[in-house]
This record gives sequence, structure tokens and C-alpha cells, in this order.
Amino acid sequence: MTSRPLMTLQVFVAPPQKVGEIPHGTRVIAPITSGSFQGPRLRGKVLAGGGDWTLLRSDGVLELDLRITLETDDGALIYLTSFGLRHGPPEVLAALARGESIDPSRYYFRTAARFETSAPQYGFLNQLIAVSSGDRRASGPIYTIEEIL
Amino acid sequence: MTAMTSRPLMTVRIAAAPPQKLGTVSHGVRSIVPVTGGDFEGPRLRGKVLPGGGDWLLLRADGVLELDLRITLETDDHALIYMRFLGVRHGPADVIAALRRGESVDPARYYFRTLPSFETATDRYAFLNRIISVGVGEARPDGAVHRIDEIL
Repeated sequence: MTSRPLMTLQVFVAPPQKVGEIPHGTRVIAPITSGSFQGPRLRGKVLAGGGDWTLLRSDGVLELDLRITLETDDGALIYLTSFGLRHGPPEVLAALARGESIDPSRYYFRTAARFETSAPQYGFLNQLIAVSSGDRRASGPIYTIEEIL
Repeated sequence: MTAMTSRPLMTVRIAAAPPQKLGTVSHGVRSIVPVTGGDFEGPRLRGKVLPGGGDWLLLRADGVLELDLRITLETDDHALIYMRFLGVRHGPADVIAALRRGESVDPARYYFRTLPSFETATDRYAFLNRIISVGVGEARPDGAVHRIDEIL
């Protein structure tokens, strides 16, 4: 499998909405307030209004279901969805939950990302498969997204 | 910046029945391909594809074929694994036309990539519940072959 950098995406989250225990696990919704992204072929900001619908499963894996709108520096809108998984040793996850900075190589945080846009200059995003590795920070995650070639 | 690394998970060969051509629907041209069987093999698991799954294909207005596959795998030690993926396939017009005629085409000539996910209740395969993976597809006259890598 080969890949190449697509973008680095940083999102900022508002305080989480803790829905709590539901039939599939523990649901926590994190509203996205802002952010930015940059890569060799596109850059811009994250619009307010998206969110990450996270679900902590009974096997300890956190499922992430991110939906956000990107606005490029030339005014195009891009809808990004990312489904991810995060898990690791209990002490590492506990430190993350306390908001501490942790080397992201100490846990598994990977996502599969899809894009939708009507802007011709970014039409290539509609046609690619992408994966990302995440780095969970107290202010929100940073994703390094790669295009699968 | 973290480099993306991967390792082989399995190669899945899927045998399919003739497509059910629904024609033009609200989002594009829909074809449904019933899965009749197949097999899979990798360093950590192997077995067969059970009949009964399918691939709900949608040809979009931009020429990209979207794949939406759901199948059940049975390992050689009788564990059941539910596998599904979304994928995209596209390429030069002459290459896609050759594929539609059922010809064998070098898969390097088109883009056929998928994002598989897995569900299993069997402890020895539970690692499948916890990984993100990517597949590179090859369309063959008798079905599709997917080489799936685990993202590390």
C-alpha cells in the first residue's frame, strides 16, 4: 500500500455533550467550533457547526464519527466525514481523558476519511480513499491525512 | 508527522452471480451483485466467503463507481466474521470500457480502493474489531480480488 500526504487537519472542540449509556455503548458528542487544514494541494479553515459523535464500545474501543465542513482559502466548501477507532493501554487512555499530552505512538488512533465537494479544482477529493492517524490533544485532535494511491 | 505504515491482512477473492441491473435511481445507476462464494487468506486468518452477501454498486454522475459490499467470512476454524466496505473505482474511459466487457486489465491502470471494516465475536480474531484497513481491488471476469492491508 502506498500513500501520499493529503493534509494535516486540526479541529477545536467545545465541551463534550455527554449523552451517556445508550444501547451501543457510551455516547459523547463533541461539537466542532473551528480549526484549520493544510496540505500540498489545499488549505483553509474548519467551519463551526460540525461534530464528532463518539461511542465508547464495551470492548474499550472508542469509535469516532466526525462530520465537518472545510472552507478552502479560495472559498470552496468541502464536506469531510471520518470514521475512526481509538484504543490503547488503560493508563494511556486515562492520561488522555485527563487532558494530558501523550505521544500518539502510544495508542492506536486511525480513521478512514471521505470527501464531497462540487468545486472542480478539488474534484479529485471525490474520487479518492484516504486514511489518517490522529493525535489527541486537550484542545481537540490533529489528523495527518494521507491519500491512498 | 506520523508516516502511514501498513501490513498485509488478507487477500479476499469473491465469486459473484450476474448483476441485478436496477438502472437509473436517484443517486446514479444502481447494480446489485449477489456474492455466491469465495475465499480469503492472510498471515493470521484464512477461510471461505459464505454465499448470501452482495455488493450494492452505484455508478455516479462523475463516472466513479461506488462499492458497498457486505459479506460473511468463515474461517477454517469456524469463526464467523462480518466484513463490509465502501470503495471507489474509476479510471480512463477505455480501461473502464474493457472492464465492462469482462476483459482482464492490469489493476495498475485504474483506481480501485476500499475501506473494509470487520465484526467478530470470536476472541482470537477480535483484533479485527479494532483496526482500520485499506483494500486494493482488482476486477476480474469471474469476480473481484481485494488485497487488504491493516493500517498500523
